[in-house]
Amino acid sequence: MIEIALLSIAVLVLTLTLGVPLPYCFGAALMVMYFIGDVTMKGMMIWGFQQMGNPVLLAIPLFVLAGTIMSESGIAASLLRFVNAFIGHVRGGLGVVAAVSCAVIGAISGSGLTGIAAIGPLLIPEMEKRGYPREYATALIANSSILGLLIPPSVTMIVYGWVTDTSILACFLATLGPGLLIMVNFSVVNLWMSRKFNLHLDEKPTFSELTSEVTKRGIHAFPALLMPVMILGGIYGGIMTPTEAAALSVIYAIPVGFLIYKGLRWDNFLMAGKEAATAVGAIMVMILFSMILGQMFVYESIPQQLVSAIFGITENKVLLLIFINILLFLVGMVVNDVTAIILIAPLLLPLMTAIGVSPVQFAAIMGVNTAMGGVTPPYASILYLGARIGNVKVTKVIPPAMMLIVTGYVPVVFLTSLWPDLSLFLPRLFGY
Amino acid sequence: ADLKMSHVRPQDATIDKELRAFAAQVDTATGGDVKIEIFPASALGDYTTVQERISVGAIDMATQPAGTAADRRMQISSFPFLASNWEEARKIYGPDGPVRNVMADLYAEQDITMLAAYPVYFGGISLNTDPVNPGEPAANGIKVRVPGIKSFQLTGEALGYIPSPIPFSEAFTAIQTGVVDGVIGSGAEGYYASFRDVTKAYIPANTHFEVWYMIISNGSLAELDAEDQEALKAAAAAFEAQRWTVAESDQAAWEQKLTDDLGTTVVALTPEQLSAMAAKVRSDVWPVVLEDVGADWGQAILDKVGQ
Amino acid sequence: MDRFSKYLLTALIGVVALGQFVQVVTRYVLQIPVMGLEETMLYPTLWLYMLGAVNASRENTHIRANVLEIWLKTPRQHTILAIVGEIISLAVGLWLLSWAWDFTRYSWRVWKESPTLYIPTFYSDVALVIGLGLMMLYTLVHLWSHVRILAKGAEQ
Ligand code: NA
Ligand code: NA
Repeated sequence: MIEIALLSIAVLVLTLTLGVPLPYCFGAALMVMYFIGDVTMKGMMIWGFQQMGNPVLLAIPLFVLAGTIMSESGIAASLLRFVNAFIGHVRGGLGVVAAVSCAVIGAISGSGLTGIAAIGPLLIPEMEKRGYPREYATALIANSSILGLLIPPSVTMIVYGWVTDTSILACFLATLGPGLLIMVNFSVVNLWMSRKFNLHLDEKPTFSELTSEVTKRGIHAFPALLMPVMILGGIYGGIMTPTEAAALSVIYAIPVGFLIYKGLRWDNFLMAGKEAATAVGAIMVMILFSMILGQMFVYESIPQQLVSAIFGITENKVLLLIFINILLFLVGMVVNDVTAIILIAPLLLPLMTAIGVSPVQFAAIMGVNTAMGGVTPPYASILYLGARIGNVKVTKVIPPAMMLIVTGYVPVVFLTSLWPDLSLFLPRLFGY
Repeated sequence: ADLKMSHVRPQDATIDKELRAFAAQVDTATGGDVKIEIFPASALGDYTTVQERISVGAIDMATQPAGTAADRRMQISSFPFLASNWEEARKIYGPDGPVRNVMADLYAEQDITMLAAYPVYFGGISLNTDPVNPGEPAANGIKVRVPGIKSFQLTGEALGYIPSPIPFSEAFTAIQTGVVDGVIGSGAEGYYASFRDVTKAYIPANTHFEVWYMIISNGSLAELDAEDQEALKAAAAAFEAQRWTVAESDQAAWEQKLTDDLGTTVVALTPEQLSAMAAKVRSDVWPVVLEDVGADWGQAILDKVGQ
Repeated sequence: MDRFSKYLLTALIGVVALGQFVQVVTRYVLQIPVMGLEETMLYPTLWLYMLGAVNASRENTHIRANVLEIWLKTPRQHTILAIVGEIISLAVGLWLLSWAWDFTRYSWRVWKESPTLYIPTFYSDVALVIGLGLMMLYTLVHLWSHVRILAKGAEQ
């Protein structure tokens, strides 16, 4: 049976390569299991549709909508200006602003796209004006944008927690450490790169100018800064569940966007609603069929067979972890984050627990790897969106992006696998 | 034949071990004709979905609570405060008990055969905070998670709690962070299995009698020859008879484990307090739930039970 | 159509957000239990998912990994690839649709109800077959337009 399961995955990858929309790729894999493997489809729709109705998943459209609203409304722009007040004038500071702003935005949005969508249009021209190469600026912001998936809340961690039955709050905290480390990496790499660029800097402000500017922009950004406090404080303070926090962030962002920052108008509000709903619909239908495929695997005890097959090759923990990171890297090249998690997490979790990797650490390993998949070609949705926003050719943006991936991401990916404390320290601190 | 059987508890829980023994028993009794593969931890879906999949013949068997979505009359199985002690429970839910008989008929309407009833425990209230007048059914301001089943929500309210229907998947986290301070709807063993780090106090209020049913799809049963069917039914009857002999002491053991392993305070309730709670729920909740399941139909069963 | 989908989808997602928000307010601020709100939210939620997916089909914005596309040179090759993709989508989608229809008939026959308010779940279950049906319709439309482009290219 494991051969047929592998065949169904091969068909999945083949149809994927042909550019078939993801839900039908999973459908094609289901057909393999049904027609060749003789696994019943009877009752599978009952199960799949019930899974889709799980309230935990409802957090996904809401966090995506909150992200879209914050990028349309000027909420993100005010956060950017606030961060910029601190370090914008330092040599290479604007690049640091990009990384840090994406992290702050990540504390509100659950998606990896919000950062580049919200601050790309503002910061890329600004960075170019100051002497950064346009393709470098685009690559940097696109890479930093992924922090949206690593700084909680996070759509991928919601999905991981849901499919593996792990505490979503613990998963949120697991990727926070690696996420902050990546932010620091990008900042350092950027400061080092900036020495080669011919940058024009503003005159260094005096201390009193600096404090008055920080205060002014801080007051303006206050309603926006309140959002991460509300979301994360609300969740970890025991006031609401993640789904409810997602709803609150939407309900809060609407009046703030319309009345305070005034970037939100009726037309772009409707557009934001439609876009969030469409993105989520596409994800959910894919989730429906991928969950059914996963259920067929469970039905035929494929995960257990896979574990013993892999143990037949090696039982060395470090070797297995390196192997899994390479596998995840390859998967991340061709599919998006949520797909990768639904496909891989239930299959590999039994293996991970068998070699002593906790489900929470595996959440971080999956989170970091699949997030990186958003910027690794050939299928690099976040990088491609960045190229469109930055108006640069995809081929031009890939070299600086690869440089940032190798220096910023890859070390953290390996650290996350080999140093459990990096991902487990915060969850432990909070008692998970 | 290879049969797939689902249950709701993790691997190596009491029921998991008992079902594996049952599977071995069936294997021997049928001379290897019938092999039962156990799927623990709701791996095939939560019990309501599994029941539906059994009714269409997609899954063969399960041992689990009755799902009420397809037929609201199945709520009779978890009717609150119906039995007040083990002796009564056995009369109501045991072989030839009125509730058990009616449940077998309701399952039959869904193309499902009930093979056995599995008495689990009397339900109670788990709190992650100090109880407030636990013996008195009066408002205490404590928020508790209840399952999305009407009788539990109403029972929670009648006993003075603020019921909050949070999905099971979010329940543990909700208690840990303090979104709610406790749970209604399970018993000592269930709380030990799923809420062990957030059970500071346990109130054995006997809120309901938790009974699971071993069920099999009519289609799967029909595929076995007559001898194997008889062997399966006999093994199921033995499985149930065995469980009735240990269920009560098993419940006591789990309450003891809560105290010993987790340092949970198990509140001692007097018989007067228990009957006061029962009286409150019977007067507040029963009329509503009876109306839902059909007043005449429900009352006829209650008459047989002697209420 | 674009206008209609904008209003409909925004309304659906808005209702869902509002429902969750009310849940927090009633529990945390007012400290009263609301029964059945949660199960009510399931209906707009499932319609939101399915109609969102239909809109993705309409706008042709489903998630795809166009790996092969990078190596293809001529527009004609791209059109042929698109046609192959749409035909696969259609074949797989129709098979899935037949199972969705099976599910719908089951849901109609059993007539399940939500646990506390007894709202028939058929009203959300039917979203699956309608959603998939519309997705197939739009796939057919895209296929047709690709075939016409290819035919036009061949004429020239
Ligand atoms: Na985030
Ligand atoms: Na990728």
